[in-house]
Amino acid sequence: MLEHYLSLFLKSVFVENIVLAFFLGMCSFLAVSKKVETAFGLGLAVIFVLTITAPMNWIIHEYLLREGAMIWISKSLAGMDLSFLNFITFIATIAAMVQLVEMVIDKYSPTLYAALGIFLPLIAVNCAILGSSLFMVEREYNLPETAVFGFGAGFGFFLAIVSIAAIRYKTRYSNVPAGLKGLGLAMLITGLMSMAFMLFSGIQL
Amino acid sequence: MKFIENILDKHRDRFEKGGDLAKWKPLFEAADTILFWTNERTKINPHVRDSLDLKRFMMMVIVALVPSTLFGIYNVGYQHFYALGQQPELWNSFLFGLMKFLPIAIVSYAVGGFWEVLFSIIRKHEVNEGFLVTGILFPLILPPTIPLWQVAVAVSFGVVIGKEVFGGTGMNVLNPALTARAFVFFAYPGKISGDKVWTAIDTAKDKVIDTFSGATPLLVASNTEAGGQAVQSLHNFQYGDFGFINLFMGFIPGSIGETSALAALIGAVILIITRVGSWRIIVSVFAGGYLTAMLMNVLAGTESTGMFTLPPYYHLVMGGFAFGAVFMATDPVSAAQTNTGKWFYGLLIGALAILVRVVNPAYPEGMMLAILFMNVFSPLIDYYVVKGNIKRRLKRAA
Repeated sequence: MLEHYLSLFLKSVFVENIVLAFFLGMCSFLAVSKKVETAFGLGLAVIFVLTITAPMNWIIHEYLLREGAMIWISKSLAGMDLSFLNFITFIATIAAMVQLVEMVIDKYSPTLYAALGIFLPLIAVNCAILGSSLFMVEREYNLPETAVFGFGAGFGFFLAIVSIAAIRYKTRYSNVPAGLKGLGLAMLITGLMSMAFMLFSGIQL
Repeated sequence: MKFIENILDKHRDRFEKGGDLAKWKPLFEAADTILFWTNERTKINPHVRDSLDLKRFMMMVIVALVPSTLFGIYNVGYQHFYALGQQPELWNSFLFGLMKFLPIAIVSYAVGGFWEVLFSIIRKHEVNEGFLVTGILFPLILPPTIPLWQVAVAVSFGVVIGKEVFGGTGMNVLNPALTARAFVFFAYPGKISGDKVWTAIDTAKDKVIDTFSGATPLLVASNTEAGGQAVQSLHNFQYGDFGFINLFMGFIPGSIGETSALAALIGAVILIITRVGSWRIIVSVFAGGYLTAMLMNVLAGTESTGMFTLPPYYHLVMGGFAFGAVFMATDPVSAAQTNTGKWFYGLLIGALAILVRVVNPAYPEGMMLAILFMNVFSPLIDYYVVKGNIKRRLKRAA
């Protein structure tokens, strides 16, 4: 059983990296990756938010939203299908969690709070996080699987953003052609990174 | 030599600022400094005096590549004649191999050189000799049957996207030769994988012997059915001798320059003695590969694929492992820069390459992507090694 969770974790970190295989969460990935420390902080925040929100959304989906979910309240609700509310409910959960993270970071690390700036509240609309919740529904994971998957996806994001930050830190004095400075080069680096991550594509776990 | 020097000196002024040929200065400078020592004076410190500049440094890599290149050329011919059932004579094989190798190398140098010169003229930097190495490394990691236009497209991608957009030699993140190869590998997989591409035969004209199979040893080993022994299937292979000694010597199908572990080792000795290549990286790649392969042997069960059972010393001499460890992983730009970082970098390359060979059914060989993958992470490794060093020294000072 443990093996199953371990392989799910490795799969979501390396084989199906949320950033480099699905290209989700690109905005914060490109915007907050100039310095390793900030990227590290944002990465941790994303891990935290993902690990909490994916299982929370699973519970909500399982017991309130999916077809026949509310059968535990009354037999007459068996035909009820609220899954059209998935998007808005998931976003609400995520926004609430991000608020919590924001307050915690503001209290304990004001420097990181200032460095992350607008991108911290924007985690709420980070598609990597909503995407993971939707993947969880689509792939019909159970609760522990969802928790592992959420953590794995967050860790994949963390790994990708920290490593691109180190690369961009290394290239900060490079003689880059004027038109490619900054985001242009960052996008090219992302492409090359995702090519390198194809090392794992095809592994069956 | 004096004669050439006089000519160069006579026209030097025309290439300086204000001269009628000032635009072509990078080309002049390239010709000048590759033949002679630069007479440029340093105006601000540090006034480092060392005859080992970038050009001489890169030339050492080319020298180290000579055994692999010569053997590779010979082996292309050897495989050709062997497939036809003829006795592979030394000179015949060599000449045939040269006919196959030279066009690829010329295209690689011409197209890559074109981009290099174009960028250096427009962006006004020097033509960097790093390209001399990329231009020869790239043909060596291609199969002999690769179409020349693919060589041209790939080397353009490798030089422009892999290197020039980062600002040229010394600033790239990924190894340009491997970037180019990864590009062909994903864009035109039919021409660079499988068992049809590794032996140079003209299917319309040449008649191959009945047992012919162009499969590389890695492909044969990874096709071992579950529960089987990989060594056994190598041993039972009808076409060609896939014993350990032969794998080490390199008389096997494969990319042009990668087959001979022996030639790569000679190159390694040259690189280590001249201190151009890092012995830490070479040793740690082999160590990482060996240990991982040992671990895989332990994990091998009755249901696991036969590849799990392949002994570690086989892994090290098969495919591009030795060549990649010696010439690709040690690229001083894209590898980790710190000494501690080099150990992690190398160990992980070896480990990942073997891991992919064994557990990833999509690719029989993992060396290329393992090196590219660690190229991506080497800045991160360096960053934390430096951080850790600062922390430790602060503690000592406190």
